[in-house]
Amino acid sequence: MQFSRKDEFREYFVNKFGIPHEVMENYTFWQRGKKVWAFCGIPCTVEDVEILGIRALKISGDVKPSTVFLRVVGKYATRNVIDLNETDAMEFMKGKTIFGNFDAERGYVIVRCNKEALGCGFYTGEGIVSQIPKEYRIQDSWV
Amino acid sequence: MDEKKLSYFEQYRDIIPQFDKFLESLKTPQPYWIRVNTLKISEEALINRLQRKGFVFEIFGELNAYRVVDMPVKHPGSTLEHSLGYYYVQDLASMVPVLALQSKKGDRVLDMCAAPGSKTTMIAEIMGNKGCIIANDANYRRLKSLAGNIERLGITNVIITNRDARNADFGVLFDRILIDAPCSGEGVFRKNPWGFRQITEREHRFLASNQKKMMKNAVRHLKDNGRIVYSTCTFSPTENESVVKYAVEKLNMRVVDVDVPVPHCEGVESWRSEDFSEIRRHVMRIYPHIVDTGGMFIAVLEKR
Ligand SMILES: C[S@@+](CC[C@H](N)C(=O)[O-])C[C@H]1O[C@@H](n2cnc3c(N)ncnc32)[C@H](O)[C@@H]1O
Repeated sequence: MQFSRKDEFREYFVNKFGIPHEVMENYTFWQRGKKVWAFCGIPCTVEDVEILGIRALKISGDVKPSTVFLRVVGKYATRNVIDLNETDAMEFMKGKTIFGNFDAERGYVIVRCNKEALGCGFYTGEGIVSQIPKEYRIQDSWV
Repeated sequence: MDEKKLSYFEQYRDIIPQFDKFLESLKTPQPYWIRVNTLKISEEALINRLQRKGFVFEIFGELNAYRVVDMPVKHPGSTLEHSLGYYYVQDLASMVPVLALQSKKGDRVLDMCAAPGSKTTMIAEIMGNKGCIIANDANYRRLKSLAGNIERLGITNVIITNRDARNADFGVLFDRILIDAPCSGEGVFRKNPWGFRQITEREHRFLASNQKKMMKNAVRHLKDNGRIVYSTCTFSPTENESVVKYAVEKLNMRVVDVDVPVPHCEGVESWRSEDFSEIRRHVMRIYPHIVDTGGMFIAVLEKR
């Protein structure tokens, strides 16, 4: 299946997370099936390629932003972003839910700590369910 | 250390300088090196953070290359910072092909054999996520680790393809092409002596014939003022100097000198009656007894 260019997905990041247009304009967006990739630079070939840039969104059912792309643009977010203290941040990175009330709409949020974007969470109104993919979760023996 | 395994390297006694020291170095485990992903964090900030966690580093000159002298975990990647993509565990020797490539911000780059992406991610970092890199690998299963590393490091200017570098048509011409060729891997012996398998000359020649096909295909995709870097992590001249000689004699290429800030040796003079005196001064060999790394061969080629 080929990628087709769909720059309208830029607006998702601007509207939902308040990331400035100037930042998002660095990226072109490419859809293949139910996934969208973000690419910056000059797409010198787009035919018969496996992957184009970095996973940005999954659009099956709801629209879900990827941890890896939020880590790239999350520092510019001004809305639906939750800053955790270091202890909670480590728990979140282990895949745990962080309970509490936060200043964000229910749904996907950007989770940060000391201004660093850690990735995607899902805010239920009662807590943030970690959406950190397994391969990026940290383990108890890590530092 | 298994002496029988080490005796395999005796065939190189006459071509590797200070051979006994070389053999000794193979008995010691290879240290870990890391490279800071400056797309996400500054070198100073990351090194400070890891030092506070108990890591001890030795800095290598002006390079973004830090040797891990001591660490509080079993593997240098077992940290939050690694998960966040702030650094990549990469041997110093494996950074040299990228340093020799000297890619620039707007370049179009082809990395013909890219998985798992140590060099791709380093090229992207040097290019500041600008331009375009095609990272190709023929092994579909290895694309997962390539894509994983690209994502972890937050690299957004890479396109991944799954073609055979010996004959694929990539559709465009490139400013820079890296052929980090599949090879017999003698230079990674220290990293995994248990897994090392002795290679026959026939196998070296089979690998070389593939490497030459990749070279030929790379030349076909190179802009007139472009540059190819050919690298392997093996010592066999059949897979190294011989492939470069082929490019010079049959593909109208020339070997160019490039300054790299990592100590290295010249190529070999001759091997099994093949003479390399024309090219040997311009190619680079990195040995584990000269710098504490794995082994590497690097040649930089441009059109004549
Ligand atoms: C030495 S490794 C590359 C290491 C990589 N450049 C890095 O720095 O992480 C060689 C790679 O070549 C790939 N390969 C083998 N035959 C190939 C072919 N015909 N075309 C493209 N890639 C091939 C292998 O799957 C392997 O991943």
